[in-house]
This record gives sequence, structure tokens and C-alpha cells, in this order.
Amino acid sequence: MNVEQIVEATLFASQTPLAADEIARADENLVAEIVVEAIQALRDAYEKSERAFQIYQLGDGYQILTRPEYAPYLERFDSVPRAPHLSPAALETLAIIAYRNPIGRIEIEEVRGVSASSVLRTLLDWELVDVVGRGEGLGRPLLYGVTRKFLEHFGLKDLSDLPASDELPVVLGELQQAMEAESEVPDEVEPAPQGETEGETS
Amino acid sequence: MSPGAPSRDTVTRTVEPFQVSLERFSGPLDLLLHLIRSQDIDIFDIPISRITGQFVGALEEGLEAMPIERAGEFLEMAAHLVRIKAQLLLPRPEQPDWEEDPRAELVRRLLEFEHFQDVVHVLEGAEAQRGRHFAKGYVGSRPAPALAPVELELTLADFLSAAARIPEPAPPLEIRPPSQTVTVDEKVSLLRRLLGKAKRVSFDRLFRPWGTRAHAVASLLAALELARQQVLRIEQARPFASIWLLAGEREPTAVAPDTTETAEGTG
Repeated sequence: MNVEQIVEATLFASQTPLAADEIARADENLVAEIVVEAIQALRDAYEKSERAFQIYQLGDGYQILTRPEYAPYLERFDSVPRAPHLSPAALETLAIIAYRNPIGRIEIEEVRGVSASSVLRTLLDWELVDVVGRGEGLGRPLLYGVTRKFLEHFGLKDLSDLPASDELPVVLGELQQAMEAESEVPDEVEPAPQGETEGETS
Repeated sequence: MSPGAPSRDTVTRTVEPFQVSLERFSGPLDLLLHLIRSQDIDIFDIPISRITGQFVGALEEGLEAMPIERAGEFLEMAAHLVRIKAQLLLPRPEQPDWEEDPRAELVRRLLEFEHFQDVVHVLEGAEAQRGRHFAKGYVGSRPAPALAPVELELTLADFLSAAARIPEPAPPLEIRPPSQTVTVDEKVSLLRRLLGKAKRVSFDRLFRPWGTRAHAVASLLAALELARQQVLRIEQARPFASIWLLAGEREPTAVAPDTTETAEGTG
């Protein structure tokens, strides 16, 4: 049995990312660790032989994708509709959810300064976010988190692929601490008291 | 209102260099941040009065075209700015703590918003990068081959032999007008003659031998005419049964002899 070929055949035949344990179903003797090793060996081989494709990790799954330098050629074949670009409002909301995972709607609206219910519905429809739990506050608000599909859409392995908060140009530092002192509820899930009052009266 | 007019003028004048279309902005924080950043204003020392004027000025341009919910979000921020402006006018301690600055909460929100705008740019970049990788199945299934224009491969002989196979046109269908006319009077004569021989006559008997519609119509009219003259009675047992014509009280033979002769000639 040649593990690399089995893994390669499975990845080749799939149109969606496959997790290592999913690939391991191809044979009784396969386990996820061996699959991951085989994938690494395949990656090296593709690199060395200058294949036009490579195995990429998207979320917890692996998928054979073309290398970006061949995009101009493939873009001429626009017969298959591609995923639409997300609107600025959707990106803004996703950014907040990705970094504040899990987070409630009112907190998202606090950050954006605008209503988030319709954009949240869209993101739920596209399965880019999902309800991941309920908060502690009044009415036990729904908490949202990003999904595997989010990682696939943005080509990320996991959320740590995104730059850490303090690596971004705008760093939230001592100001936030100053404001947190005013907040009586330490729980991150709770919206700031002032924001909550404003949300309810409006 | 007269006090309002001059202040509005100042607002318009100050905002003029920053003509902005509200549609560009995702919300009030976005607009506010744009006003601050585009003028190189120190975000930790926002000139609230000036910024409020510019913010309100921008709203005057595009607020009416906005959906009411979105307009409300901008107006809420405008009200918030005015409130901060008012708070700044109140006497404050000589060395105020930052936390006591009425602008602190707004600055925190602006910075947080700006922070997430950075994340948006990161995500946009990631999305664009991901868009340059293509998965299996992207290049669609092979389209049906376009039909190549076919050269005409027809000789004159082919054409002529095909032409020869076309059948002769069928002769036009002849529709002849009825060659004989039949009059009601003829049928009346016939009927009178038959009733002279028998007590009753089958209605069929009047036209069946000729078999044309004209004879049937003439026979019916003749029968009705004689029935009106009470020369005969018409009887039918039930709908669609045979119709019988029975000699009536009046003498059926009371008829002009010449008419009878004509009818006999036709028969």
C-alpha cells in the first residue's frame, strides 16, 4: 500500500476540502497522523516538480488548488459562477466576529455603530457564521462565531492565520482599559452598560 | 428661525472642503473617522465643535435619501456629538483625568472601529488571495461543440432527381353547385299525390330517394305548409322517431293540376 498515492487519489477526486480523518477512511490502515505526513510529502513533491497545483489547508481540511500564478489563465474560463465578494458591511461584521468569537449581536452593533441584524442573517444564510452559544445577559442573547466555511472562503487554516490584534496598525491599548474600569460586568460577553441602555431605548 | 440661520451658514462653510457622499460610509463611525483622519486630526484631542459641524453638514446632504433606520443611526451619532460638545462647556478640574473627558468613550469606539477596519482589510486581502486558487471543477464541463458550417455537397443531378420525386400537384377539388333545384311546390304536389293514395306517408319518403339536403328542406317546408293548411297532420311518437304525415280533414286532392304535373316530372 502506498499511502501517498491513496491520499493523493482521494484529494484529487474531491471537490471540497477533506479533513485528515476523512481522508483516512480510504483505507483501514490509515490514521489521520499518517495522512498528514503523506500530505506533507506530497506537498514537497509538488513543490520540487513545479506542479501548477498544491495541497492547501483550509480550516481543518485539505484541498488541491491551483497555484495563484495560474489564476490569469483560469480566469478566462468563467463558466462556473464564483463565490461573490462580500459587501463591506458583511466584512466588517465578520471581522468583529472573527476577533471577538463568540459575540452577541448587540456587541457587534456597539462596535459598528449600526444595526447588524440583516447582515447577520445574510452571514448565517451563507454559513459563514453560526450560533455557537448563548450569553449570560438579559434574555440569554445568541452568540455568534465564524465557521469552517469562513476559513475556507478566506483560505485560512484557523483564526490564528489572522494577524493578532496587537499586530494591527491600530492597537487598542490603555484607552480600552480605562473604559473597562467603568464597566461593572467583567464578562466579555456582556455589552457595555451604556450600549445596552441605548440599544433598548432606540 | 433667525438664530439658526447664521450657525447653519458656518456649518456649510466649514464642511465644504469635505464634501462626502454618505453612501460610501458603512455608518456614522465610518463617517466620523473619515472626517478625523482626512484632516490629520489628533484622535485623542478631537475638536468636537468643528467635527460636529462637519458631521451635521454631511448629514444635510444625504440624510433624506437614506432609509429611515440608517438615517436614525447617523442622527443618533449627531445627537451624541452635540451632547459631548455641551459637556465640554461645563467647568472641569484643572488637570482632568482622561477618563473624565467626555470624549473618551467616543475615542475608544472610534479606535475600536478603526481597528476592525484594519481587520476588514486583512480579510479583503485574504479573500482576494483565496480567489486566485481554483479547485477541481472550476473549469466547467466541456460545452457542446459548435456546429461547423457544412459545405454544400449537392450536384445538379441530385437536385433534379429530388425535384423529379416531387409528386404532381393534385387536381383542385371540384365543388359543383347542385345541378337540380327543387322547389317547395314540387314537394307539396308530391305530398298531395301520395296522400291521395294512402292515409299516411312517411316523411322520409318525400326526400330519401334523392338523398340531398335541398330535398329534405323542401320536403319539410312543404309538410309544414300543408299542415298549416290543415291538409295533413304531422306526428312523431318521440324525438328522433320516424315522422308520419297523416291526411287531414281537408281534401288533399284540392290542388292545381299543373303543379302536380311539374312535381311528377321532377320525380
